[in-house]
Amino acid sequence: MVVDQKAVLALLKKQAKGTYIGLDELQKTAETFDCSLRDIETIALSYSILPARFQRNGLSCSEQLKLFQTKVAIIGCGGLGGRTAELLARLGIGHLILTDPDVFSESNLNRQIFCTTETLGCNKVDIVSRELQKINPVLETSLHVSRFNTLSITTAEIVIDALDSTTARKELSALCRKHSIPMIHGAVREWYGQVTIEQSANSLIDTLYHQTTENSLPPHVLPMTVSLIASLQVAEACKLILGTGSPILDGWLQCDLLHSEYEHIKTGACR
Amino acid sequence: MQVQVKLFAFFREGRFIKEDKELPTDTTAGQVVDDLNIDREEVGVLMLNSRHCKFDTVLQEGDIYAIFPVIGGG
Repeated sequence: MVVDQKAVLALLKKQAKGTYIGLDELQKTAETFDCSLRDIETIALSYSILPARFQRNGLSCSEQLKLFQTKVAIIGCGGLGGRTAELLARLGIGHLILTDPDVFSESNLNRQIFCTTETLGCNKVDIVSRELQKINPVLETSLHVSRFNTLSITTAEIVIDALDSTTARKELSALCRKHSIPMIHGAVREWYGQVTIEQSANSLIDTLYHQTTENSLPPHVLPMTVSLIASLQVAEACKLILGTGSPILDGWLQCDLLHSEYEHIKTGACR
Repeated sequence: MQVQVKLFAFFREGRFIKEDKELPTDTTAGQVVDDLNIDREEVGVLMLNSRHCKFDTVLQEGDIYAIFPVIGGG
C-alpha cells in the first residue's frame, strides 16, 4: 500500500460520524487518493474508525480488522456454503475463496439462499460472489468453478466444509490436515445436523465417517437445519479467528431440531 | 444385564431417544444395532460410556451405549 496514511486518516476523520464511517465516504476517500477501497478500510480499522456497516456487530475495530485480514475458503456453495458465505460477508471477512463445480437447479430452491427462480442454471460460485458484493463491496472473492483442489485451500487460514459427499469430505479433510489448515465441518440431513472443528491434531472426520459408503440418493434436507448448521459453522470460524476458543474443540455438536436437543459429544479413545 | 441405549438424529424416528434395555450377557454393540433394524452401513459412530467402540465390542452391565448415524448432506 503506497499511500499517505496521515492524509487518508485526516480525511477519514473529517468525514466520520463519531467513530463510524459510511461506504460512500470510504469510496470517496479511495477515489481521492487513487487507491483501493480495501486500503482505505484497512487504514480506517487500524485507527479505530469503524465502517458503519459493521457497527451493529458490536466487535472492536481490532477484531473487525482481524476478520478483514482473514481469508476463508468455502468448499461447496450450495446449502451450507451459500449460507456461510452470506454470514461471513456480513460479519466482515475480507477474502473468500468459493469453490463449486455445479449450477443451481430447481431442487436447490428449498434451502440454498442464492438459488432463486432467476438464478436456475447459473454457476453457483458466480451468483454467490455477485450477491456477496451487494452485501459487502469491500469483500474480495476468488472463484473456482470446479471441484476443490489444493489451490482452493492453500492460501486460506480456515476452510469451511460445505460438501455433500462422504468421499469428498474425507479427501478435503486429508488435504486440510496436510496443509495444517483448520476445517470447520458441517453436515445436514432432514431435521438433523452436526458441526465440528477438525485440526491437524485430531481426525474427527475419520471418526464421524469411518465408513466410506456413499448414499445413492441425495439426502432430504430442511432449510432451517441448513441455516442453523451454517450459523454454527460461522460462529466457530469467527471464534477461531478472534482467538476466543471453543468448547467443541474436543468433540462435535449434534443438533436435533425435531426433538429440540443440542448436545456436545466429547470424543474419547477407542476401546 | 441392563444397558442404556441412546439413539441420535434420524435413528430416533420410530424408535426412541433413550431406553434402558435388558440384554443377554455377551451381547455385542453390533447385535443391538441389528436388533433395532438399523442398517450397519448407516452407522457413523458408536460410543460406549463416551468412548468409541466397534460392532464387535461386548457390552457390560451398566454401560451407556450411543449410536450415531452418518449425516452427509450439505
